[in-house]
Amino acid sequence: MTLRLLWLPLLLGAAVSLTLGVYANLHSPTGIAVSVAGFSGPQPAKAWLATICLLGVIIQLISAFIMYGESAPSWIPALHRWSGRVAFLVAIPVAIHCLFALGFSSFDFRTVMHSLLGCFVFGVFTVKMLALPKHGLAGWVLPLLGGFVFTAFVGLWLTSSLWYFTTFGVHA
Amino acid sequence: MRRSPILTLVYGLVFAVGLLTASSVAVSQRVPSAARAVPSTSPPPSPSPSPSPPPLAKVNAVWAGEVDGGGASLAISVKDGVAVAYLCDGKKTEIWLRGTAANGQLSLVSKKGEILTGTFGGGKASGKITGSGKSFSFTIATAEPPSGLYRSTENVRNAQVVCGWIRLANGRTVGICDNAGTPAAAPPLDTSRVNPINPGSPDLT
Repeated sequence: MTLRLLWLPLLLGAAVSLTLGVYANLHSPTGIAVSVAGFSGPQPAKAWLATICLLGVIIQLISAFIMYGESAPSWIPALHRWSGRVAFLVAIPVAIHCLFALGFSSFDFRTVMHSLLGCFVFGVFTVKMLALPKHGLAGWVLPLLGGFVFTAFVGLWLTSSLWYFTTFGVHA
Repeated sequence: MRRSPILTLVYGLVFAVGLLTASSVAVSQRVPSAARAVPSTSPPPSPSPSPSPPPLAKVNAVWAGEVDGGGASLAISVKDGVAVAYLCDGKKTEIWLRGTAANGQLSLVSKKGEILTGTFGGGKASGKITGSGKSFSFTIATAEPPSGLYRSTENVRNAQVVCGWIRLANGRTVGICDNAGTPAAAPPLDTSRVNPINPGSPDLT
C-alpha cells in the first residue's frame, strides 16, 4: 500500500535531486546572481537566509513532535505549515545562488557534503510534499521523510552558514 | 486543504524559475564588465553560431607578486572560480590558502585560520591576509606563464614533502618545502618536473 502510494512521489523527488545535481554540474558558474538588498554581499545574505531557514526547520521538528502527541493545541498544525512554508521560501534564493553562481563543488569535504545535501534536500522535500495528501500511508513514512528534510537542512546550515560565521565573522 | 502541499511546491518552483530568469538577465547585463575582469589567460570568446547570449566565462586567473613591503611573495591561482593562494618568503614563512574568486571578490582561508580577503579585476588582485601573527597587504598583477604558482607533493621515506614555489614576472623564484611540519628553503624550481598548480586538485592541503 505504502509503496503503491509513494512510487510517484519518490520518482519525482529523485528527478528533482538529479535535475539539480546535473544542472549544478553542467551550468558554468557565473559568480553572480540576483542578490538580496540590505547585505554587504551575497555570502552574508545567504548565511542569514539559511539561518532563518534553520529556525524554520527547528520549529518544524518541535511542532511535528507536538502534533504526534496526545493533546496538541489547535494552532500547532498551522504553525507547522507556515514555518515550513517560510523555511522553504527563504531556502529557494539561497539554493538558486548556489546553483547559478557557484555550481556543484568538490574541492573539499565541506563543499562536497554541501553540494550533495543541497541536491538531496529539495528532492526529499518534494517527496514529503507529494506524500502528505495521501491517505493510507504507513505511520513511519511522514516522520521519516520529515526527518530527512530536517537532517539535510541542518547539515546544509552547518556546512555553509556556520562555516561562514566562524570564518568571516557574524555580520550583515 | 489536501492540495496545499502541492501548491507549496508549485509556488516554490515558480519562485525558483523567476529567480533563475532574473539571474540570467543580471548576468547578461554584466558580461562586458565581467569579461574585463577575466585576464588574458582565458581563451578569447569564439563567435558562436547560436543566437543565445554567450556564456559568461568562469574565473580563471593567476596573479603573482610581492606583498607590500617586499617581505614575501604571494601568488593566487584560480580555476573555474576555485582559488588557491600561497604566501612564501623562501625561508620559513609560508601560508597555503584556499577558497573562491567570484564576483570580483577573493575569499580564502588557510588551515590555521588565516584569512585572505580582497578584490580582483583589471589585471590585478589586491587585498590582505590576516589572522596569523603578521598581516600582509598586497596588490599583485596577472602572471603570464612561466611565472605563477607551482606545487609538488612527494612521499620521501614515509613523510610527505610538500613544496611550493612562486615565480615572478622578473624570473625571481621563491619556494619552501615542508617536510612533515618542518619548513625549509626549496631547491631551485625545475619547471620540466614541477607543474603549475591546479586549484581544482583534491590533494591540496
